[in-house]
Formats: sequence, structure tokens, C-alpha cells
Amino acid sequence: MSPLMTFRIATKALGRNKMRTGLTMLGMIIGVSAVISLVAMGNGAQSVIEDQIRGAGTNMITVNAGNISQGGVRGGSGSSSTLTVDDANAIREQVPGVQFLAAGVQSQAQVVAGNQNWFTRIQGTDVDLPDIRSWALKTGAFFSAQDVSGAAKVAVLGKTVSDTLFGADADPVGQVIRIRNQPFKVIGVMAAKGQSGMGPDMDDQILAPYTTIMKKLLGVTFIRDITVSAASAGDTTDVADRIAVILRTRHKIAVGEDDDFTVRTAEEIADIRTAAMGTMTTLLAGIAGVSLIVGGIGIMNIMLVSVTERTREIGLRLAIGAKGRDVLLQFLVEALTLSLIGGGIGIALGFGLAEGMSRWMSWPTKVPANAVAMAFGFAAATGVFFGFYPAQKASRLDPIEALRFE
Amino acid sequence: MMATPGRGAVISVKDITKTYLVGEVQVRALRGVTLDVQSGEFICVTGASGSGKSTLMHILGCLDRPTSGEYLLDGQDVSKMSKDQLAEVRNKKIGFVFQGFNLLSRTSALDNVELPLLYQGGKSLRTAERRARAMQSLTAVGLRDRFDHHPNQLSGGQQQRVAIARALVTEPAILLADEPTGNLDTRTSIEVMGIFQKLNIERGLTVLVITHEMEIAEYGTRIIRCRDGQIVSDHLVERRRLADDELRALPKEATVA
Repeated sequence: MSPLMTFRIATKALGRNKMRTGLTMLGMIIGVSAVISLVAMGNGAQSVIEDQIRGAGTNMITVNAGNISQGGVRGGSGSSSTLTVDDANAIREQVPGVQFLAAGVQSQAQVVAGNQNWFTRIQGTDVDLPDIRSWALKTGAFFSAQDVSGAAKVAVLGKTVSDTLFGADADPVGQVIRIRNQPFKVIGVMAAKGQSGMGPDMDDQILAPYTTIMKKLLGVTFIRDITVSAASAGDTTDVADRIAVILRTRHKIAVGEDDDFTVRTAEEIADIRTAAMGTMTTLLAGIAGVSLIVGGIGIMNIMLVSVTERTREIGLRLAIGAKGRDVLLQFLVEALTLSLIGGGIGIALGFGLAEGMSRWMSWPTKVPANAVAMAFGFAAATGVFFGFYPAQKASRLDPIEALRFE
Repeated sequence: MMATPGRGAVISVKDITKTYLVGEVQVRALRGVTLDVQSGEFICVTGASGSGKSTLMHILGCLDRPTSGEYLLDGQDVSKMSKDQLAEVRNKKIGFVFQGFNLLSRTSALDNVELPLLYQGGKSLRTAERRARAMQSLTAVGLRDRFDHHPNQLSGGQQQRVAIARALVTEPAILLADEPTGNLDTRTSIEVMGIFQKLNIERGLTVLVITHEMEIAEYGTRIIRCRDGQIVSDHLVERRRLADDELRALPKEATVA
């Protein structure tokens, strides 16, 4: 019998029970669309992170207090009190190739302006930050070196904070906000930097001189991080190495001992973040893959039920001249058709879900070509794999027994 | 109503036996059956259940192979053929009609009749040709105008007629019917037997009907009685019942058709 004829017989058989055919396909549709949309979400997030970090400047280096790779109980980078302002100054003065540098401390607080209030991140930083991040101001001015040395209570607002406290399009420069009951004078608003796919919202924070945050808000003598930009992008790794050497000397860390700080270049951070997202994506795809297998088992289940239910039909087909091979192929093609059509719809639905995610939930998505090929291939393989056993069972029926089956 | 001489035996069975193994016990379903069926004969095989008539039917229908003995169908030795070869023989030479109709549900009468043609190997027929032949077959059983009806839209008698049309579509050498009237009432039974008779008389089609009802057997030209796996009597019918005459004599019924 020709393959075309087998296909026609199989599709006719499927058409005879549309409800069941549809439900069986549903398993495949859900499995394939889950794989596609989840991988698309993971990939989208990954590429956004990459773009953001690389876009922020490949010559950026961050130094965090503490060392996440160090043994023992550690709270993670930034939670240690090992970095000081003197460290920052030493790097600025002694490391060649450093162009800009900003010491950083962080806090979070309820911020009040008039009758509005907002809980946000307070970022203590230095005058170089706009240069390091290539970040312009929307209105007003960034704080000056005098503000830093004098620990002036001035604040530069992120766009979201400004909009929330003073309303969109209002110019809050000159207004006073209260952070932990201390008045800060607003001197500027940063331009919108946009919500990042992952990580903190750059617009939802208040920038102030790090000295002010340390002395007036937190009462600490250490800083959390130092952000550095190398004079040339090609020099970044060397500068990072030199910073590490200076800090080790200053912290009197013996040879063979671990650093009590972490130096990372933007490139490294991007790699780490994307690697983490990659793992996440694989994990999600794995979970979605399980639903594909469940879909496949659904197909096998239905095909087995179908073979039993259609025993007399099979008996008749054998009696009127179908060979075992014809019946085997018919059921195999039925399973394959179920899984391929289901897979096709699943791919379309997966694209739709991914598109919907990025449009309505502003989650960046990117459907990789190989995920489509893989999902489709897997659907086909599932059809053949899970369809074979029932098909073989059908083809081995004895026509006499099958015709007698009630 | 005698067999047309000179056309040779369609079926020639010599001393066939069939032994099944049911668990540890050997069941001898056929114990040496010899039978010749001439072309154009209308044979009815009767016997109680367990007489071996079903086993004989399965072997004659090439659904099963004899344990021993020789079986020539249309001059071809089929007793030692492989499963696939038998499938081909069934497709080309035998038309089956079953007690339970065995039509594909949710499938039009035409598609049902066409089915055996889909399994014809070698030169496959074109779709139009297949349709035309299925239509011819439906016309022969008087269901031309119901070609697009599904089995659940047809009466039992009509369903059996569709099954007969399906058996005819490959132009087989012999039509094998296993209790074809078992599920039908008297009037419909006569109608179905009438179709067999018409095909037998008008086209010279060789028909072999298995039945346990003597009245049904008398529509044939020759009755073979089985008991305990052997043929115990084999005689020609002297006064053949004619379905057409009987139907005319029956009181008119509000025909479902």
C-alpha cells in the first residue's frame, strides 16, 4: 500500500473520533508550547542581561566587600565590612589606568515628600557615577565634590521616585524630601534608564553622596562597593588585577589566603549572569520536557485504548486483505499525525505565548530556532516511540480472534 | 441449479484437518474434510455449534491454515502460504460477509465499500476508479441512493447489504458469508438471502453461506452438514426456496427503506 494511502486511512480514522483526537493532541500542544515559551523567556532574559551589562560599558569594574567564593559562613558579596574609603582612595591614586571611581554604600528607606511616600533604595555614591554609567540627568545637577566632602544632605532622584513622590513631569529640584526623618534637598533627577530585565530597577532609587549615607543615615565607616571604570576597554582586566594586588597588600592578606573582596569586570558579571540564566533556562526546558513525555504517554495510552476498542475494525481490515505491515503503519501514522499536528499547534502557541509575555508582561522573549526544531523533532520521535507499541500490538492481532471480539 | 460444468472447482479441499491446542488439550476441530466447490454453486454449510463449520469457514476463507491436507483455491495451493500471501489471497479472491456486519462507524457506505480496494497491492487504482467500482457494487445491492449514509443511519438489512457490496467490490472468486442473517429478522433475512441468490443466479457468483438455520440453507443449491469436524451429509437441494417469490407472498410492510 502506498504511503499516501496509509496516511489517508490514518487521518480518516482520526477524523472519526475528533474529541479524542483533540484531547490527545492537547497533551502534545501543551508540552511543545511550554518548551518553546519557557526557553524563549529564558533566552530573552539572557540576552537582555548581556546587552545591559555590556551596554553599561565594558570598561567597568566593580569591587565588592567580602568574597562569595570564600569558605565558611559568609553573607555574600557586599555584606562584609572589609572595604573602606581609604581603599577607594588608594585605588584612585595608586592604580594606573583608572579613569573614574565611585565608592558606594546602600540602604533602603521610606522616603517622604509632602503627603506622598515611597519605599526605595538609597544609593550612596560619588561624583563620578554618571560618567561611569554614562548616565545623564533629566533636570538639575548631580552633586559636587564639595557635597561629598561635606556630607551634604542632597539627593538626586531616579525617574520612578521622582514621578511617584512629585507626580510625572513635575520638576522637584529645590524641594525637600525626608529620608528617615532627615531632610534632603533634591538637586536633580536622573534620566530614565529603563527597567532591566533582571536585577534592580535603576530608576527606582535615590542617589546621594556616599559620605552622607555613611555618616548621617547608617553611621558606618566601611563602604559596600567601589565602582571603577578603566581608561581603555582593552585595559580592563589588567586594571582589575592591579586593584586586587593593591587591596591584598592593604588588607595584609598573605599569599595563599583568599581575598576578602571580590573584583569583577562587567564582562565577567555578564558571563556569570548569563550562565546562571542559561542554567535556569535548561532547568525550565527540562521541566517542560517532562510535560512532553507525559504528552507522549498520553498518545500511547489513547493508541492502546484505540487498538482495543477497534479490535473488530482491525480484524475486518486484516480479513479483507490488510497485511500486518499495513495495520502497523496505519496506527504508527495515526500516532505520528497526532504528535506532529499537536507539535505544530504547540509551536504556534509557544510563539504566541512568548509574544504575549513580551507584549503584556514586558518579559523579553526570544524563540531560538533550534528550540523549534528540537520540539518538532521531539514531537515526531514521541509519536514514533510511543506509537510503536500499540501499532505493533494491533498488527499482531489474529483476524479470527479480532473479528470475534466483543 | 447445478454447477456449471467445465469451469472447474473454485475450491478443492482434500483431507484437511485442524487441531488446536487449548492449554494442554488438543482439540481436533476438523478431522479430514474433503470438499469440491464448483464455480457458480450456492453452498450452505450447516451444523450445530462445535461441529467445525466455523473452523472450516476460517480455513476456506484463508483466515487460518489447515494443520494438514491440501487446499486449492481457484487452482492455487493456499495451504502453505505465508500470512502476507494469505492476506493478498483474501483481498483478491474472497469476499467476506459477517454476522455482525463489521462496517466502520462514522464512515459513509461508499467509503466502507471502497475499503478492500485500498489494500490492493501492486497497481493501485486511481481514486475515481475506486469510487466508480464502489458505486457499482452499491448499485448491485440496491443502495445506490444511500452511498453517503453512515452505518448508524441505515437499518440492519441495509447495513448487511453494504457489507455485501464491500465483499463484491474486488470481484472475488467466492463470496463467504458467516451467519449473514444471524442478526436480522425474518423478512430482512429473506431479503439478504435474495441478494445472494440474485448475485448467484444473474452473475454466476459462487456463494458459500454458513448457517445453523435449515430454512436459510434451503436458499442454496447444495447443503453440507457438519458434525464433529467431519462432513456427514452433502446433497443438492431439490426444491430450492426463492427469496423473491417469498417476499412477494409476504404481507407488505411499512418498509424502512
